[in-house]
Amino acid sequence: MRTLTNILFFLLCSTTILAQDAGGVFRAAGSPENPKVPISWNRYYNHAGITDICKKLSASYPDLVKLSSIGKSFQGREMWVLTVTDFTKGKPEEKPGFYIDGNIHSNEIQGTEMALYTAWYLVETFKDVSFVKELLNDKVFYIVPTINPDARDHYMKEPNSPNSPRSGVIPVDNDRDGLVNEDGFKDLDGDGNITQMIRKNSNGRFKKDPNDLRKLMQVKVDEVGEYEILGSEGIDNDGDGRVSEDGTGYYDPNRDWAWKWQPNYIQNGAYKYPFSLPENRNVRDFVMAHPNIAGAQSFHNSGGMLLRGPGAEEDIGTYNADDVRIYDAIGKKGEQLLPGYRYLVVYKDLYTAWGGELDWFYGGRGAYTFSNELFNSYQYFHVKGDGQGFGQNEAYDFDKSLLFGDAVVNWKEFNHPQFGKIEIGGPKKNFTRADPGFLLESDAHRNMAFCIYHAYSMPKLEIDEIAERDLGGGLTEVTVVVANKRMIPTHSSQDLKYRIERADYITLEGAKVVAGLIVENRDLNLIREQKNNPAQMEVENIPGMGAVTIRWIINGGKGYSIKVNSKKGGVTSKSK
Amino acid sequence: MIKPFSLLTTFTLVVSIGFGQGFSDQSRMATRLKALESANPSLTRLQSLAKTVGGKDVWVLEIGAGDRVNHSGIAVIGGVEGSHLMGQELAIGFAEKLLANAQNDSIKNILNTTAFYVFPNMSPDASEQYFAQPKYERSANANPTDDDRDGKTNEDPFEDLNNDGLISWVMVEDPTGKWKTHPADSRIMVMASLEKGERGKYILISEGTDNDKDGKFNEDGDGGIHFNKSLTFDPPYFVPGAGEHPVSELENRALLDYLYERFNVFAVISFGPSNNLSDPWKFDKLKNAGRVPMGILENDARQNKIASDLYKKYVTLKDAPVGPTSKGDLSQWAYFHYGRQSFSTPGWWPPKFEIPKDTAQAKKYKTNEDKNTDVDFLRWAEKENLDVFTAWQKFNHPDYPGKNAEVGGFKPFVKTNPPFKMVDKLVEEHTKFIVSLAAKRPDIDLINVKTEPLENGVSRITLTIQNKGLFPALTEIGKNNIFNKLVKISLTSAKDQSIVSGNKITLLPNLEAGETKEMSWLVKGKGKLTIEAGAPQAGVKKIDINL
Repeated sequence: MRTLTNILFFLLCSTTILAQDAGGVFRAAGSPENPKVPISWNRYYNHAGITDICKKLSASYPDLVKLSSIGKSFQGREMWVLTVTDFTKGKPEEKPGFYIDGNIHSNEIQGTEMALYTAWYLVETFKDVSFVKELLNDKVFYIVPTINPDARDHYMKEPNSPNSPRSGVIPVDNDRDGLVNEDGFKDLDGDGNITQMIRKNSNGRFKKDPNDLRKLMQVKVDEVGEYEILGSEGIDNDGDGRVSEDGTGYYDPNRDWAWKWQPNYIQNGAYKYPFSLPENRNVRDFVMAHPNIAGAQSFHNSGGMLLRGPGAEEDIGTYNADDVRIYDAIGKKGEQLLPGYRYLVVYKDLYTAWGGELDWFYGGRGAYTFSNELFNSYQYFHVKGDGQGFGQNEAYDFDKSLLFGDAVVNWKEFNHPQFGKIEIGGPKKNFTRADPGFLLESDAHRNMAFCIYHAYSMPKLEIDEIAERDLGGGLTEVTVVVANKRMIPTHSSQDLKYRIERADYITLEGAKVVAGLIVENRDLNLIREQKNNPAQMEVENIPGMGAVTIRWIINGGKGYSIKVNSKKGGVTSKSK
Repeated sequence: MIKPFSLLTTFTLVVSIGFGQGFSDQSRMATRLKALESANPSLTRLQSLAKTVGGKDVWVLEIGAGDRVNHSGIAVIGGVEGSHLMGQELAIGFAEKLLANAQNDSIKNILNTTAFYVFPNMSPDASEQYFAQPKYERSANANPTDDDRDGKTNEDPFEDLNNDGLISWVMVEDPTGKWKTHPADSRIMVMASLEKGERGKYILISEGTDNDKDGKFNEDGDGGIHFNKSLTFDPPYFVPGAGEHPVSELENRALLDYLYERFNVFAVISFGPSNNLSDPWKFDKLKNAGRVPMGILENDARQNKIASDLYKKYVTLKDAPVGPTSKGDLSQWAYFHYGRQSFSTPGWWPPKFEIPKDTAQAKKYKTNEDKNTDVDFLRWAEKENLDVFTAWQKFNHPDYPGKNAEVGGFKPFVKTNPPFKMVDKLVEEHTKFIVSLAAKRPDIDLINVKTEPLENGVSRITLTIQNKGLFPALTEIGKNNIFNKLVKISLTSAKDQSIVSGNKITLLPNLEAGETKEMSWLVKGKGKLTIEAGAPQAGVKKIDINL
């Protein structure tokens, strides 16, 4: 009993000691000095950790965050979504929506923390930063920290390399021999990491770097080698002469989206058909149910790339000049906010990817969308290296000097059943692609700023002018100018091309409408009548940093109101 | 080796269960399927894979004896288009005739080695419109969609303006019209040709009103998504019937999920608008110049020709019109994405009409100079005493007050579905075709097995693996597709045996029709070992060897 009381006392203390005493802190510019939900941003969270953070945020800020699930993963984990907006101002579904997700590739983990950081920062600074207050008044953020929770936990809890698993965990027969997942990696040294196997061989073409023996380097063309590389830790389980040829997965969740999807023999990693993976189907359902989503970012790693589509050269016509101008403006801003990051086009600067998420968000929903390849080797020593984040020399030097050797497994001898005496070692799974702890918060903040710039640029509609002219005989001509104060139009040109979302409605209520006219040029009086249902005028688009003009002829004059309703542009109204 | 055709003549003697006087609605379809299952419990398994948005079952009937998943399989799919009732009848009719003959030796042999997966109707929401009021040709399922993308859903359906229970056509005399009557038969409407200096006189619209006053008639009626427009090969985007993206619908997903787990299927036979059985797909280098193949590959075109020749041997209808593929359709999905042999036919088309040579008879007809198919179809139907046309009748169209308007024209369904009395013979012929195709399935065998003792307990095992079927183990299009299994040869040795040379597991990229490959192993030790060879779609052969 006494022990129990002690435990209870300890538990009570441990919860209360989390928050700092407000008297003991001093604000650093741009960060909440005493957050209600203290979170360490120098470590990673598995699904249980994510769930805990999501619940704390929604419990602490009920007017700013709502937590719900978009559905369950293949293994039954909840896929959390945080809806972040000022719930006291307007309906969330009537504000332009910005969608963020992370971790579509299982090993690309930091997108989750960066997504969570975004939610956390917005709510923790809401009361102090007027920009954030206005942003959450105007817009709504839908933040799904991980859209691949099963394989995220697999990455963290099972032996893996920095590159595995990229796939989700639905079993697939990779080598087409009728068996599934029968020959995956094997953690031979039992350290939780899948590292490299090397073997002494005078005919090999590698040697250990004399300046850092943990690192293998290629010998010169005319130099005698000392080692050969045998590949990632594993054995030939099924006796087919191949090592680790059929492990967890394999399919690529980012080749499963419905714009220009291609099957696996054209696009490696494609599964059965678009949205054949349950996690992606949940995202699809959520996005289809939220037609207000006008912009999106999807977090990957690594290399410091802000990517837009198209994923395939054959689809180049989809991204037309009007939309590319907007992409360019956002992407260039991103390069400024994220040092060392480059704004690139997938098919041209990276590789061909059919059926990627960003292409569906844009091609299928008309929403301007980026994929961010988070972390780059620039962050090691602020030198532009190879740009891929794998800058071997820099990574080993960085580990030695700044992480004090925590990120690399030193070579260990091992007796392999097929290869005999080998050595095992190399970078741990949490190094080279995932941000090292002390860089994570900084990278998260800059990346969030990029998202915020993108989200801020979504439409903001205002009624600039309501002008009246007496036509005599009780008739009044009412001319209304509706402006979009931001860069992104209510309909991207992809949206307009396929009529993805309905037209914007500009409605006059409270007076008898005799006729409704769309004014194409007010000065030259170029107008077009909408004969059908003139009280609710339909305009194709309200351009970014531009306006549309509507004219009505009404019978009677006072006490009417104008309402603007755009799926992606939000709503606004004014009474006269 | 099976001799396919000598014993198939008995089909004609069989009277199928449930075969009535007309096409089957979904409740009658369910009765027929259940009757097949209960009459053939060891040969069949009936499953509903999903319920559509309209609450209809998506059925599959598995047919075959023994270990079906390791027998080469054929999927037989009907209801590809909701308005094509004939496709359903061919699929269920095939199952009925096959099972009625299950005791016949040649069929028994086929059932012991082949699995059939019969999906009688992939468009059950749409096909029920045949039995409903008003009756019209429908492809859309019951999922409400905004077909004209104007922000409103199902707001402009057809209306049966003349209350005859059918949706047919309306012509309105109007100087802006683009249509005129055909010179050979004034009941038939054709587009006026500007090149020939013709002027239009009529507006031609489907029967109904412009409910939403957008200037378009009946452009957004009940539903929905078309099964045959929503698959993954070259899908159409944002067109009516295609949905928001390919495979958005439960019935499409149900079929694909099921088939992607049936690795044993080597061919898909579908009854729908595209026809590569009367006229096989041809290899065209230009279509395959890019990295995404858009035409059949060279080797696969040969298999299509073989199937087409078989088809024309058993199905006696001549002069098939071109049955083109369409964007997002099933026949192309089955080939390009599922990676299997894909054979499709509508199963029926109206025969050609020739003006009789007899001059007295010939006088009745004006020359059909441009060979208009509607003119010929109507002439054929009238010769056969078929009721396919509603005479044009004057009426007042509410959207064209005071104008000369007439309602009438071809009745729905008549152009793509035969008179029911023709169905049985067509079912019988198509059944013979499918059975003959099954007999030519890829078929892997192990032959010339030889063991030679060498010295000190080491033996050499030599054998030949052969595909004795007329189809390759893998299609050319499927050879790099992970959903097509490779041919695997595996040797399972006893504990005290060791393999000195040769692989425990060998994967072959393919085994063409008639192709052989010799394999050998050196094994040390005595006793039994097993060699197994094959692939689900080509059959699996297992032999025991005693050393």
